[in-house]
Amino acid sequence: MTTSIVPQLIVSGAMMGLIYALVAYGFQLTYATSRSINFGQGELVMVSAFFSLTLTKLGLPYWLMIPGGLLFGVVLGLFVERAAVRLALEQKSEGWVLLTIIMGLFFFSAAENIWGRDDQPFPTPITSDALHVLGISITPLEISVAVGVFTIMGLIELFKRTTLLGKAFEAVSVDRDAAELMGISTTHTVMLSYGLSGLSAAVAGILVSPITTVGPTMASVLVLKAFSVAVVAGLDSGFGVVLVGLFLGSLESLTSYYVGSGWREAPGLVLLILALAVRPTGVFGKAVIRKV
Amino acid sequence: MKRILFIHGAELLVLVLLACIPIAVKNPFVLGLLTLLAIYGILLIGLDVTVGYLGQINLAQAAFLGLGAYTAGLMVTHFGLGMISSLFASLLAGLAFGALLAFPALRLEGPQFALATLSFSALVTIGLNEWESVTNGAQGLQLVRPTLFGLELAAQGFYWLCIVLLVFVWIAMNNLLSSQWGRTFEALRDSPIATDAMGVGTFRHKVAAFALGSGLGGLAGGLYAFNFQYLQPQSFVYELMVILLLGVVLGGRKSLWGALVGATLIVLLPNLLSNRFLFQVFSIIGFVIALVAGGRSYIQKTTKPFQAGAPVVAMGMLVIVAIFFPNIEDLRRAIFALMLFSVVVGLPEGVMGFAARFLSKLFHIAPAPLAVPVPLHTVLPIRDPDGSPLLELRQLKRHFGGVRAVDGVSMLVQTGHIHGLIGPNGSGKSTLVNVVSGLYKPSGGTMLLRGRALPHGSLFRAAQAGISRTFQNLQIFSELTALENVMVAMKGVYRKSLPFVLFGLSHKEERYAQSCALALLEMVGLREEARITARDLPYGAQRFLEIARALARRPDLLILDEPAAGLAHPDVTKLIEIIRDIHRIGITTILIEHHMEVVSELCDVVTVLDGGLVIAEGRPVDVKRHPKVIAAYLGANA
Repeated sequence: MTTSIVPQLIVSGAMMGLIYALVAYGFQLTYATSRSINFGQGELVMVSAFFSLTLTKLGLPYWLMIPGGLLFGVVLGLFVERAAVRLALEQKSEGWVLLTIIMGLFFFSAAENIWGRDDQPFPTPITSDALHVLGISITPLEISVAVGVFTIMGLIELFKRTTLLGKAFEAVSVDRDAAELMGISTTHTVMLSYGLSGLSAAVAGILVSPITTVGPTMASVLVLKAFSVAVVAGLDSGFGVVLVGLFLGSLESLTSYYVGSGWREAPGLVLLILALAVRPTGVFGKAVIRKV
Repeated sequence: MKRILFIHGAELLVLVLLACIPIAVKNPFVLGLLTLLAIYGILLIGLDVTVGYLGQINLAQAAFLGLGAYTAGLMVTHFGLGMISSLFASLLAGLAFGALLAFPALRLEGPQFALATLSFSALVTIGLNEWESVTNGAQGLQLVRPTLFGLELAAQGFYWLCIVLLVFVWIAMNNLLSSQWGRTFEALRDSPIATDAMGVGTFRHKVAAFALGSGLGGLAGGLYAFNFQYLQPQSFVYELMVILLLGVVLGGRKSLWGALVGATLIVLLPNLLSNRFLFQVFSIIGFVIALVAGGRSYIQKTTKPFQAGAPVVAMGMLVIVAIFFPNIEDLRRAIFALMLFSVVVGLPEGVMGFAARFLSKLFHIAPAPLAVPVPLHTVLPIRDPDGSPLLELRQLKRHFGGVRAVDGVSMLVQTGHIHGLIGPNGSGKSTLVNVVSGLYKPSGGTMLLRGRALPHGSLFRAAQAGISRTFQNLQIFSELTALENVMVAMKGVYRKSLPFVLFGLSHKEERYAQSCALALLEMVGLREEARITARDLPYGAQRFLEIARALARRPDLLILDEPAAGLAHPDVTKLIEIIRDIHRIGITTILIEHHMEVVSELCDVVTVLDGGLVIAEGRPVDVKRHPKVIAAYLGANA
C-alpha cells in the first residue's frame, strides 16, 4: 500500500487541479477580450453551486438542473460585467480590480444569508464507489470532473474557432482597436466573454460540489489556487492552465500529506510569486514587446 | 501665507483636539477608539503610498499589519525587548518583507500586482496559523505591553505615544511625498517607460515606495499588538484588507488627510453596525447624498447614467437592509460591499479630494507662489561644438523574429549637429532610436557614445550615459503638472539622501529645481501653463513639454522622435524655433521627421533609411536628389 500512496495522491490531486484549471480558464476568457479578470470568480462558482443545489431540492432531476445552473452562471457573469467591469474599462482605469472584489464580497454575504453558513452536501447520481486501476483507486465522481472540464473547455474552444461570433472574440483578443474598426463591437464581445466565464464558473461549481460540499467559504480557497494556475500558466494559454492545474493539484495533495494539511495552499502561492518574479507573462505565455 | 496658515492651522487644530480629548473625556471606550484611529491612520498613510501614488491595488497591507504585530509580540514575549525597540523591529519587519515582495512584484502592473499581493497575504495568514511553535497558531498570542524607557504606560499614555508617532509619520510622509520622491512615484504610475528614459530609476523608487508603505504597516502592527495585547491570525485576513481599501478610497487617495478620514471611518464602522438606529440614520443620509449628487450629475450630464444611478441603487439597497433586516451584523460584508461600491463609482476622488476642491474655492486659497526662473544658461550652459564624433553606430542590427527592422546600420553623429533620420514608414527609424536609447537590445553591432560603449537594452542606463529622448506616441506624466513633469527629469539637482528628505531638509534644492524647470518651460513657451495638469494641455503643448522634460536631463545627445507629428502649422513653426534654440546651445540632436521642410531647414546631415539599411547620407539638398531616396519614397520606377 505504501508504494502506491504517491501515485494515488497525485491522481486525486490532479482531479482537483482540473477544477482550478477550469476556474483559471474563466480568468483567461475575460482577460483575452478586456485585459481584466474577475476577482470574485470564486464567488460565482459558489453562488452557482448553491443555486443548482436549490434547483435540485426543488425536485429537478440532476440532468435538468445542470442547464438551469449554467444559465444562472451566465447571468451572474453578465451582471459582473455590467456593474463592475464596464465602467472601469470605459475610464481606462484599474478600478475593476476593486469593483470585482466588491462584487465577490457582496455575493459572499448574500450566499451566507440566503443559504446559511454551513457546508451542505450536494447530491449527485454519479457514484463515488471507487474503481481500482493499476493499484490506484479512482471514483467515477472524479472521472466526471475530468470529463466535464474537458468537455466544456473543448466546446468553448470549438466555439471560438469555428463560429463567426467566436472569430469576433478572437479578433478582439488580438487587437481591440482593429476589431472595433472592422465593425466588431468590443462591448458585446467583452459581455460575451464574461458570460462564458460565468458559464465555466457554474460548471466548476456543479462538478466540484459533490466532492467538496457547498459552502460560502468554498470560494476563497478555490479562487486563490485558480489565480496561481492562471498566472503560472500565463493569462493567454488555455493549454497551459490544464497542465499547470494538474501539476499544482498533485503538488498540493503531496504537500498536504507530507507537510501538513494546513500548508496545502502554500505551494500554489509560492509558485505564483516565483512565477511572477521569474516570468511575469507565465510559463506558457507570450512575451510582449514594449512599444512606444 | 494664507495657504500656509490655513493648512498648518488645520493640522495643528486637529492635533491639539486629538491630544486633549482624553483629558476632557474620561471614557475608556472613547480612548480605545481614538487609539485605534491613530494606529489606522499610520496604516492607511502607508497603504496610500502604493494605492494612491503608485496607483497599484495593494492587497497585502493587512498582512503587513499582522507581520508587524506578531514581530512586536514576539520581541516582547521571546526576547523581552522594550517598547521602542519592539516598535522599531516591527517597522523593520514591514520594510524587509515589503522590499522582499517588491522585487518580484516590481515588474508587474495592474492585475498581476494585485494577485501577487493577494497571494502574499494569504501566505502570511497560513504562516501565522501553522507555525504554531512560534506564533501559537490559531490559539492566539498573549502579550503584555512593555515599558517605555522603564515607564509603565497606561491606556492614556499609550494613546499619546500613538499620537506622537502619527505626527512623526505625518510630517515625514508630507516631506517625502512633496519631494522628488513623491513626484517620481506618480511618474511611475503614469509612464514607467518615460520614467526610465528620464534616468530616474523605476527600480529603486518602486521598491522604496512599496517597502516604505509596508514599513508603516509594520509599525502600525506593532502599535496594534501593544494596544490589544492579544493577537490572532484571523484578525489580519482578506476582510480587513477590503475595509482598509474602503478607508483609502473613501478618504481620498494621495492625501494624508484622506488617510485620517478613512481611518475615522474604519474605527467607527463596527460601532455603526452594532447600533441599528444609528445605522438607519446614516444609511438614509448616505442615500440622500447619493440621490442629490447622482441626480445633479445626471441632469448636468457630467457622468453617464450608470455612474450617476448605480450609487443611488447601492445606497438604496443599504437603506432597505437597514430598515428591514433585524440583524445587520450578519450582513456586514454586504454592507461593506455596497458602501465601497457607491464610493468607488460615485465619489472616485474620495471625501478629501472633493473637500480640497471645495475648500480652496470657498476660502480662495491661492496655490503656493512659484520660484523665479533662473537664466536658461545656468540650466543649459552653452557648449562649444568641436565637431568631434559623438555617437557612432557600427553594423547595428535589431531583428524581431524573422523581421529585420534594423539590419546593419552604420552612422556617425557629430557633436553640435542636428542629424536628421528619415525614411519611409517601416524603414526602421524608430527601431533604430529605440535600440540607441536602450528600449530594445541590439541583435548585433556596436554603439559608441564619445568612444565608449553604450549600455544595451536599458533605458535607464542609456539615460545615465547622457542620452535623452522624446516619444513618437506621447509618454508624458499625465497626472502631474507641466512643471512637475520637467522637475521629475531634472538632473543634478537632487542631492539630499532619503533621511534628509524625510526630515524636510531638502526645501532649498526643491526650490532650485523649480527655478530650473521654469526656465526650461519658458524656453518652450509653457511658463504660463506651469501649473496645468499635463493631461489638460493641448496636444502641441504636450509635445513641447516632452522636449522641455528631455532637456532637463542636460543631455549630450537629444533624440526627438517625430516631434512634428500631428502638429498644426503654427506649432510646427514654433517647434522649428525651439530646435534652433537647442542647436544654438550646442546640444547634439537626432531628429526623426517626416516633414521634409522641417528636415531641410534644420538638419546639418541627413541619414536615409529603407528596409533597415542606410541608403543615403549627406546634406539635405544632396540627399533629396539622391536616386535611391527618390525611389524609396516614390516607388522603384519613379
